[in-house]
Amino acid sequence: MGDGVTATQVVFWILAVVMLVSALGVVTAGNIVYAALFFIAALAGVAGIYLILAVEFIALVQLLIYGSAVVILILFALMLTRARERPQALFGRTRPLGIAAAAGLLAALIGGIVATQWVTPGSAADFQPIALQQIGDVIFTVWIVPFIIVGVLLSIALDGAIMLASPDEEE
Amino acid sequence: MPDLVLGQFAGVDMPDWVDALLRIMFIVALMTVNAFALIYLERKILARFQARVGPTRTGPIGTLQSIADALKLVTKEDVRPSTADRWAFELAPYIAFVPVFLIFVPMPFTETWFIRDLNLGLLYVFGVLGLNIVGVIMAGWGSDNKYALLGGVRAAAQAISYEIPMLLIVVSVVMVAAGRLATDGDVSAAVSINGIVADQTTTPYILLQPLGFVIFLIGALAELHRPPFDMPIAESEVVGGYFVEYSGMRWGMFFLAEYTALFLIVLLASSIFLGGWNWPFGADVGLGLQIVLTLVKTSVMIVLVISSRALFPRLRIDQLMSFSWKVLLPFAIVQVLANGIIMAYGGPDWVVGLVSFALLLALFGLVFALTRTRKGGDTTRTIQTTPARPRVITSPEVTAVEAGGGD
Repeated sequence: MGDGVTATQVVFWILAVVMLVSALGVVTAGNIVYAALFFIAALAGVAGIYLILAVEFIALVQLLIYGSAVVILILFALMLTRARERPQALFGRTRPLGIAAAAGLLAALIGGIVATQWVTPGSAADFQPIALQQIGDVIFTVWIVPFIIVGVLLSIALDGAIMLASPDEEE
Repeated sequence: MPDLVLGQFAGVDMPDWVDALLRIMFIVALMTVNAFALIYLERKILARFQARVGPTRTGPIGTLQSIADALKLVTKEDVRPSTADRWAFELAPYIAFVPVFLIFVPMPFTETWFIRDLNLGLLYVFGVLGLNIVGVIMAGWGSDNKYALLGGVRAAAQAISYEIPMLLIVVSVVMVAAGRLATDGDVSAAVSINGIVADQTTTPYILLQPLGFVIFLIGALAELHRPPFDMPIAESEVVGGYFVEYSGMRWGMFFLAEYTALFLIVLLASSIFLGGWNWPFGADVGLGLQIVLTLVKTSVMIVLVISSRALFPRLRIDQLMSFSWKVLLPFAIVQVLANGIIMAYGGPDWVVGLVSFALLLALFGLVFALTRTRKGGDTTRTIQTTPARPRVITSPEVTAVEAGGGD
């Protein structure tokens, strides 16, 4: 690879800048639809990072799930808020609380990143991409209980949403 | 590079970036030619259905009509409404267009001709195509026009609803492919589109998953906003839908995206169900005919899709949503379950096919029973629940919120 900048590094930095800018956009945009659109840019950046890490499956699932999720977010934004009429105020009385929570989370994340013993990958030659089959095997054998629990939770949430949203049958 | 598209003919070694550039140029060229051809074809076919002759004046039997249209679009003024949201409005055509452009990548034209053979090709197609709808809803919202907004919201609701049965059907196809490939011990090709095509040398999957084929086709019509599922762009209801405010080349880009997606989704369907570049029932006759076979299968399905525009009346949006959630989704889930149960107990392929065919008959029976015309009644009454109050998706409140911007 040499001493110079590798193509992967260039791509990484481009993605990093895109992610940071759009993540900032999510929290600073006064317009809620803009925030949702910045959000999908940030998530697409994360998918790009997954691609650099050679986990294509997670990258594609990221796009597939969050792509639809953000569209639904925009729908909510359009239907439940009046964002178009007046930009939402970004700060309220809870501002100090928010700052404290954000600072605590930041500290916890930085602490976690610093404290972790990162596995340094070897050369690109002995890197083996994970096959989809392996992921399936692990999910449906080792992690089957959490998988089922997540499934049940999602079904309950879905049923609840339908119950809340369905019009009253008897009038 | 064994899978090289162009270098194969040139027989020269090219640096990676030249290779990549050539592949991109190939996509662009194919996309443009495809859109020209499809627009001409659509006009001619629809004209036949309506006892007209279609375009005849520009070029021999009107074949240059699309090029004339393109010239008109390029030279037309690009107008942006003064109240439109600048960024959303200007960027939307690109965000709608680029994902469609990207799904060219894993499409197999012959055994060795594709841009790239992706291991997760099927997942890639749906992951990337899902982003297209972001552009559509940006266009709808950014135009500051209530028809555009309604069109965009309809498109979003429709895309999300029909994506789910389609993905489940893709899962069931992958299950069948994996089951068949497992006899060779290597199932890694089961999510690759070319791998799935390669497995259909003797049996096209439409015989194993007839229900899957039908649901996929219906879902494709809805995803592509083709009639009878064209509510997002219905001229008589929302005056063209999410691109009503667009003109010139930005409008053209939505159309380019639409026709490219039509070609690609149909190519995908003919690859995973009709056996792509394979002869039906075996007997491969070499590379020269593979491309012909792919294009013939794709063309037949394109004609089918275009004809449906002339053959079926448009549904209502609530009928469309009900059909996806209450009919297609349960059938798709049952199909996945049936495949799983049969394959877990080691059932042979023909059982899978037979069960799927039985399910298809059940689907037809159900739809027939539900849509039987009653005397003077609404033809599709029983599919939907009573519309007690306006539903969220089509709710007039949506428009009210947006239209009420002035007060």
